[in-house]
Amino acid sequence: MKRFLVCLAVFGALLGAVFWHGIAAADDQAPMTEAHITRIRSNCIDAQATLYRLHASDALQRVNQGQLYESISTKLMAPFDSRVALARLDGATLVSLATTYDQQLTAFRTNYQLYEEGMSNLLAMNCTNQPVAFYDAVADVRTKRQAVHDNVVSLQKTIQDYQNAFESFAKRFEAEK
Amino acid sequence: MIEEAEKHTLNRWTGHRFLLLVASTILISLFLVGVALALYASSGTAQLDLSRPGYKSVRDQAVKSDTFNGFPSNGPIDSDAITQFRTLYQKQSRQVDGSSFGGSVMSDQALSIDASAGDTQK
Repeated sequence: MKRFLVCLAVFGALLGAVFWHGIAAADDQAPMTEAHITRIRSNCIDAQATLYRLHASDALQRVNQGQLYESISTKLMAPFDSRVALARLDGATLVSLATTYDQQLTAFRTNYQLYEEGMSNLLAMNCTNQPVAFYDAVADVRTKRQAVHDNVVSLQKTIQDYQNAFESFAKRFEAEK
Repeated sequence: MIEEAEKHTLNRWTGHRFLLLVASTILISLFLVGVALALYASSGTAQLDLSRPGYKSVRDQAVKSDTFNGFPSNGPIDSDAITQFRTLYQKQSRQVDGSSFGGSVMSDQALSIDASAGDTQK
């Protein structure tokens, strides 16, 4: 009897979780109101003008920050790791962090490309004729932009981690001298 | 008879030799331009090309050339090298902007396309 009650409770909890998830999913896909669509239609030209300026400033950020990211990898991390390896010193952490950084830089390039292509399509849309499609496209591009931002955050973290690893290396080196 | 027919065909093409040359040159050029454009778009170069229309306002603000020489990959590891690397690394890492590409500028509220409080569902 006790076992039956436990099974019933577990089954009830599972059913409740599935039901709750269904409600939450349905809430996410709630149909747009007519007033909301009208609001999008009337404001989307201004929104596109804002996005147009954002598109240009993002391209500038991509070029300038991208150059900086590249130079940190190719002109600082790689030469230093190479010297450490040639001197037969222990630079495993530094090499590992440089590899991580290169992978993150590749992800940044790919995600920015996806974001930029999405943004270009968004700017080319006739939003007054397709307000709902425009709204969905904004949400999609926003997600892609967030992915680029996440890459930027992780790159900055790795830059900081590399600096910390370098300071540990320098401390060890000075102590062994 | 066959020889005569072959000769006739040959003469027909020979007569349009110049036209054929021009047409094939145009076709090859179009193909190569297509390949170049496909590479331009797929390699990510397009995203770095500020000479495209729409980027005029920011074109002047781009860093024209990277004057940063970096850390030399040859030489010993000594105190001087460590100090030099530390200076260069700090200089570059200070310029990194960790807040770029933030999402708030693209929020529904910022673009005024959010569902306002007065909206009622149909």
